[in-house]
Amino acid sequence: MKSKLLMIIKIGWLSIWRNKRRTLISLFSILIGTGIPTFFVCIAWGFYAGLVDDVARLMAGHVTYEHVNYRNSPSNDLWVDDIQVINKSLNNNDEVLLTKQIVNLQGVAHTAKGSVGISLMGIEPSKEITISYLPESIVEGEYLSEGDGRWVIVGSKLAESLNVNVGKKFVFTTNDIKGELIEELFRVKGIFKTGSKEIDGHFVQSDIDIARMVAGLSSNDVSQLGIIVKNPDTHERFLQEMQKTLAKKNGVFLSWQQIMPDVATTIRMDRTAISSIMVLLVVIVLFTMFSTILMSTLERRREFASLLAIGTQPIELKLQIFIETILFGLIACPLGSLLGVGIAKWTEGYDMMDVVGGKAEDMTVGGFGMDTIITPLFSIPLILQISIFFFLAVQLLSILPIYLISRISITDVLRST
Amino acid sequence: MNTKKEIVSLRNVIKNYGHGKVITKALQGIELNILEGDFSVMMGPSGSGKSTLLNIIGGLDKATSGEVNFNGKDFNTLSNKALSIIRRNHIGFVFQNYNLLPVLTAYENAEYVLMLQEIPISQRKEKVMHFFQEMGLEGLEHRFPRELSGGQQQRVAIARAVVSDPLLVLADEITANVDSETAQSLLELMETLNKNNKTTFLFSTHDPAVIKFAKKVIVLKDGKITNEQISSENIEKYTKR
Ligand SMILES: Nc1ncnc2c1ncn2[C@@H]1O[C@H](COP(=O)(O)OP(=O)(O)OP(=O)(O)O)[C@@H](O)[C@H]1O
Ligand SMILES: [Mg+2]
Repeated sequence: MKSKLLMIIKIGWLSIWRNKRRTLISLFSILIGTGIPTFFVCIAWGFYAGLVDDVARLMAGHVTYEHVNYRNSPSNDLWVDDIQVINKSLNNNDEVLLTKQIVNLQGVAHTAKGSVGISLMGIEPSKEITISYLPESIVEGEYLSEGDGRWVIVGSKLAESLNVNVGKKFVFTTNDIKGELIEELFRVKGIFKTGSKEIDGHFVQSDIDIARMVAGLSSNDVSQLGIIVKNPDTHERFLQEMQKTLAKKNGVFLSWQQIMPDVATTIRMDRTAISSIMVLLVVIVLFTMFSTILMSTLERRREFASLLAIGTQPIELKLQIFIETILFGLIACPLGSLLGVGIAKWTEGYDMMDVVGGKAEDMTVGGFGMDTIITPLFSIPLILQISIFFFLAVQLLSILPIYLISRISITDVLRST
Repeated sequence: MNTKKEIVSLRNVIKNYGHGKVITKALQGIELNILEGDFSVMMGPSGSGKSTLLNIIGGLDKATSGEVNFNGKDFNTLSNKALSIIRRNHIGFVFQNYNLLPVLTAYENAEYVLMLQEIPISQRKEKVMHFFQEMGLEGLEHRFPRELSGGQQQRVAIARAVVSDPLLVLADEITANVDSETAQSLLELMETLNKNNKTTFLFSTHDPAVIKFAKKVIVLKDGKITNEQISSENIEKYTKR
């Protein structure tokens, strides 16, 4: 049994090399077909993993704890209290890298030049320096430090529209948690530039103490508690656990997808786009290979007929054909994956903008600027998925020759010379 | 008295091709017995039904009516799969065009049927080498069919047909593609195999040289076996191609 199978495999292997040129064209088409989506996926997933991490660190973490109604209307009077207990237990959790306490205040900034709607985010500056990219994005002045009081940092576009420089003042109008109108004077300590219109134009950061004071919150209250996890891939499960064990009645743990649905949607759409490319490529690959497989079957009709005559079982012949397509897939699909990974690896560190042209400012996802430096992400399950998908698709090609064999008339084929 | 085992027995075998108005009556009531150790040659003008008869005896084709009995089994009642297994285990085929597998060496081609029969490697080797020696194929084991002459390829094909000790070897026009000298040596070879191994052969041919070797001559004409004797006067009729 074993030696028979080995013989069939051997005949299959030798048979595919009978027409080297044709076989190489087929192998090449599978290889390219597998390689292209692998490359795209490595690059795109790299971008998105980077983006998600950046945004999570800048905003409210991979997982966020906030008031149950805050998602519906992020108003200043929806906060979560008694936060220190939750915070402590999160910081003792092995899966958590860091937590950030956040007080958000929606309001309007005024100067003589005009008024702009802004979002003020109070954070702990010493922590922010270790997690967020905002401190590195300062282009004028300095980033915040503890006890900075009314000194804040603003985006470059906002500084322009308010016509303020480092050291200059503006008035911030907002509501406190009781609904009272509050006016506060802030001074610009630094100006940042991230490349994102949203953030550079409408975002202000301050020390959390002053934000709490303006809002009328105690040191045990926050608008959001952002959680940066060590492994973002498992954040959903982590979230479920925390919701069960830690959440208070008025609080809820949410994922970054829920906090930033625009970003999540864009990423999902991109996955769909890549899947469509893959389907298109499969069609092209099968199309190029179809005629090859058909020809090589028709060419060998006489051979098949004589093998059947001397007692080869049809199933054994079909197995041989099946092995031929399996071998095609086994050779070309892994090589295709390697090719895709190789090219992705090779492009690592290049700025995508140099390749496709255009301005980095234009590259935004859900309002957030993207890092355009290529940092591919090599997810083995994903790469395998693509490879296996193409492998299985190629196996479909054996249906035709197997069908032809089952219809062969031995005597008719042998009679014709 | 004949105590030899009967391998094939045909009773009133009829084979029609086509349907409706255009029916070709390829065989019209064939009665034939083939006994163990026979070395029979079938002759007949082109279109007289030689190949058709060989195909039916070999289980490649089914008779329209009549009895086809092979080694005690009624071919009419067997499935294609059962016929295929009988061919594998008990019938050797030699074709006019050799029909060796081009990707396998001479040795591997001869070994092929033994592999299908799942014979252990040591026995396979012994059998193949035995026949290669007997047939003057030593030294050619590792050559591919394209590296062999027509006569050598046909020898390998004969080796493939006899190596599994079949009850019957069917050979349809196997000397048609080789020169007369090669044909002569192929026939001598099979005569030896017939003598030494009691292998039973049934040939079809146009080649008058084959008749000299025949122990029995079967003459086919218009799908019937005739009693006509082949002589120097009428031989031309049977050898014209
Ligand atoms: N598949 C088929 N369909 C229709 N007619 C067929 C078929 N096969 C054979 N025939 C006809 O049956 C008759 C016998 O053919 P067969 O091939 O057996 O003759 P043959 O004696 O082998 O001839 P040759 O010496 O030329 O090989 C011929 O008239 C042939 O045309
Ligand atoms: Mg014929």
